[in-house]
Amino acid sequence: MRGQAGAAPGSDDRGDREIGGSPNRVGGIDRVTGRQVYVADVPLDDPLHVKLVTVDAARAGIRSIDPSAALREPGVRLVMTPQDLPRPMPRFGPQFRDRPVLAVGETKFDGDPVAAVAAETLDAAEEGARRVRIEWEALPAVSTLDAALAPTAPLVQDQALRPDDPLSGTNVLREHRYGWGDVEAAIAGAAVIVEGTYEFPMVTQFAIEPHAYIAAPDGDGIAVWSATQHPNWLQRVIASILGLPLAKVRILSPDPGGAFGGKQHAKYEPLLAYMALRAGRPVRLVLSLEETFQAVRRGASRVHVRSGFREDGRLAFREVDADYLIGAYADIADRTVAKGSYTSAGPYAIPAVRIRARSVLSHTVPSTAFRGFGNPQQIWAVESNMDESARVLGIDPVELRLRNLAPRGETFIPGDTPADGIWAEAVQRAARRIGWGTPLPAGRGRGVAVGLKSGPTTGLSHATVRLLADGSVVVYSGTSDMGQGARTIFAQIAAHELGAPLEWVTVVMGDTAVVPYDQQTSASRSSVIMGNAVLAACRDVQAKIRAMAATLEDVPAEAIAVDAGRVRLPDRELPIREVLVRGLGRLGGEVTGLGEARKDADPQHPLGGTAAFYEFNCTAVEVGVDEATGDITVYRHVTVSDVGRALNAAQVRGQDEGAAIMGLGHTLMERLLLDADGRIRNLGAIDYKIPTTLDLPVLIESEVVENGDGPGPYGAKGMSEGALLPVAPAIAAAVRDATGVVIRDLPLSPERVWRALRERDAAAEAPTLPG
Amino acid sequence: MRAFAFEQPGSLAEALAILRAEPDARILAGGTDLIIGLRDGSILSPTVIDLKRVRELDASIVETVGGLAIGALTAMTEIAADPRIRARYTALAEGAAVVGSVQIRNRATLAGNICNASPAADTTPALLAFGAVLTVHGPDGSRQVALDDAFVSSGVTTLGHDEIVVRIDLPAIPGRVGSTHVRRTRRRGHDLASVTIACAVLESGETRVAFGSVGPRPLLRVDTTGILADPSATDAARLEILDDVFAAAAPSAGSMRASPEYRLAMLRVLGLRAVETARARRDGAAA
Repeated sequence: MRGQAGAAPGSDDRGDREIGGSPNRVGGIDRVTGRQVYVADVPLDDPLHVKLVTVDAARAGIRSIDPSAALREPGVRLVMTPQDLPRPMPRFGPQFRDRPVLAVGETKFDGDPVAAVAAETLDAAEEGARRVRIEWEALPAVSTLDAALAPTAPLVQDQALRPDDPLSGTNVLREHRYGWGDVEAAIAGAAVIVEGTYEFPMVTQFAIEPHAYIAAPDGDGIAVWSATQHPNWLQRVIASILGLPLAKVRILSPDPGGAFGGKQHAKYEPLLAYMALRAGRPVRLVLSLEETFQAVRRGASRVHVRSGFREDGRLAFREVDADYLIGAYADIADRTVAKGSYTSAGPYAIPAVRIRARSVLSHTVPSTAFRGFGNPQQIWAVESNMDESARVLGIDPVELRLRNLAPRGETFIPGDTPADGIWAEAVQRAARRIGWGTPLPAGRGRGVAVGLKSGPTTGLSHATVRLLADGSVVVYSGTSDMGQGARTIFAQIAAHELGAPLEWVTVVMGDTAVVPYDQQTSASRSSVIMGNAVLAACRDVQAKIRAMAATLEDVPAEAIAVDAGRVRLPDRELPIREVLVRGLGRLGGEVTGLGEARKDADPQHPLGGTAAFYEFNCTAVEVGVDEATGDITVYRHVTVSDVGRALNAAQVRGQDEGAAIMGLGHTLMERLLLDADGRIRNLGAIDYKIPTTLDLPVLIESEVVENGDGPGPYGAKGMSEGALLPVAPAIAAAVRDATGVVIRDLPLSPERVWRALRERDAAAEAPTLPG
Repeated sequence: MRAFAFEQPGSLAEALAILRAEPDARILAGGTDLIIGLRDGSILSPTVIDLKRVRELDASIVETVGGLAIGALTAMTEIAADPRIRARYTALAEGAAVVGSVQIRNRATLAGNICNASPAADTTPALLAFGAVLTVHGPDGSRQVALDDAFVSSGVTTLGHDEIVVRIDLPAIPGRVGSTHVRRTRRRGHDLASVTIACAVLESGETRVAFGSVGPRPLLRVDTTGILADPSATDAARLEILDDVFAAAAPSAGSMRASPEYRLAMLRVLGLRAVETARARRDGAAA
């Protein structure tokens, strides 16, 4: 089935160019040699540099803002305050229009800007920002779940923003309930019930490219550059806020240097747009790493899991009660809560399930999408609970999963997409690879966990493909290549379908004035949904080539097939290029194809649509624990993802390994620390640590399950988040296996492990009370 | 970053004259602490004095009578790679090798690490254990300061504003010696330490233990009982000595890097490991 049309004539590395091969990353050399142009590097004529003005408080009442001293600073051209913006203050947001362009009257989190300074140099902007005189007072802030849920807690959000909502008098933004089956009866009938509460702290995305924005007047409209995942969504926001038609708002989105969900929705683009129009000049804001910590993060959570089993280890019921601590503005956080919780019972066939999840507002940095989208918090809880259950039941943890996994084709969430993979295969392969059940040295332990995430629930992507007169190809796609390798995948598809060498394919992205509509780059959707759109556009080109061939060869079109770069005539085969050149004739020209892929919404579905596919991963690890210090060494980390079909083997491995390592970050070391007043203590890289090369597993091994059962091109599924999902519970299970201690809070820092070990030893030494 | 004057004096006399004239001037050798402070606004200085063109200063490691003299501009990379330091002053080479990252070590100077006086500095425990002596140039000429007399508290030394370190001397160590530098960080990759220990075990049976990150300045304690250096000593016997050695440790409760309780516990764990590594090295065993 595999095509070979992607190979250049005479090429000796044809295998690497096929679908499923590992051609070099398109744009990869520029990325690793520093040639890639990020938003911070875009050359501009006469730009102004912007610095945000903040106050040192999680929540502050703003009495006055005096820009006069800042305006006297040499080089300062503009100080933007709420006074300079329309009234009422324009607001935006993907779920709720609750985020103001600038905080008005009250700041709601550490880093919430009250003003912004534009100057000829960044130094002048910073100096100007220091000289904006703000009279403010610290107000009581809530920065923990308990504080935010207390009956007397100050309300984070203005009640007027959701007038008809009975919850508007509380900090609960929304409460979600899902479930099926007779839970009460299942509780009564369960042989074993195991429960626990698991906490997951705030962590930040830490994209290596900081968020950066430019806005500039553009004729009778505006141009906005942003390292965004969703250029078309941003276009709507800017158009709506400025009252401009979409055609007058141009979004340029140079390939982001990492995003991980943190660059999905608008942050400071609306502010920059107003500043550019006021200054009549381009304005650029590049956040520092510290400011990105104050811009995006993952929601923290506390999840209570209660699982009931029959004697044979089959799940009888599961209850999940989850509270997510989201930030001061909703951003997409409540959607992460809804979607992450909806599948929280796991990839198992369970007759009765009851799930409740709440998104709780607080005076903290708005939590956003973050690789895994609300699922890692749930999976940490539920899979840790599975491991504890296996011990109580006396059933091997791998065996317990195998007994309960939904087989392919089985509906495991009523009303949603049935299990779309042979998930047991991933578990069995991970177990085999890690040597599950074989003897281990002292101080070592193994752990296993699985992760499931619902893919996109809706989708709409358009693509245009132009087959030029010489057989080279231009693909137009609104996807953002933020390091996941989307350009390469689309180039591979076009090369394969149209018979062009990969080097003859150009993929154009990142400019709404040029490329057709794409809903968004998220939920590991692009290879599937945009991939299908690119494939459809290629098929559209193929249909026109077929018509050309029919005319040229004087045979009925029905007798001709065009695929994988070849035109199959009744008596012989020709390369597409040969038909193209003859068919275009003396005038030349080109053949253009349009493609669309859509997954429509389902208004009856709790999430607004069923899963396009599921990401499924099984992770198995072997760790060693230094009992004197609490240090964890990951000796082996095996990750097996069900990807349907790997379109690019090297990129799939890169995504799996990258996701695994990112998962190790929140598992072992990452956590935002807040002081008692709600300000971030570890603001920046000195005291917020992510893994370095020295912190990686001694051995990391990734495998993929490829049964061609995905909805994407050639049977692919999305796969960029799966390997992150079960890392924490797998590591914690291995620590338990090595030491006997169960830890239910992250990260598993040396000090936390050391404390747990001391408690274990103290309990062992405690005199047993007579019974 | 706020604008500042950038001076590049050609001699110590010129540098000292600028320091005298500018009470808020700051010295730049490697700049790896200074530039960060200037960037984030925690250091506001109208004048930065770059020492790299001062003719009396250099990046050098030269042999003295039995010891070594290290020039004020010598970078961590050079310290960590020097075969003489690695052989005789192993703990210093190990400490220098974990300062910051590769880029930082290529710039950061040993003298700067001392003058910055961070309690968590990676080279100062080793320098204390080896009895390092500073040669300091000031308005009245040169003077020598034992390193142990230089530290006061975090960021504070006994050196004057108008004094410049020109040289660090490592005195001779009689006989066989084994040493090591160990520390506790939150990850294996570069990080600031929450416990730092340098230990040197001498042929005489004397053991020098210097430790940092657990109080306002690094401290040196010397064990002359011979128990720490004794290969047959039990862990329990060594811990009894180490508990005295570490008695003055007073980690801050306000740090987010580790709790005082954990730091004190890790002093004992790492102290025991450091003593055994240093002793084994003295006795020629692979550590």
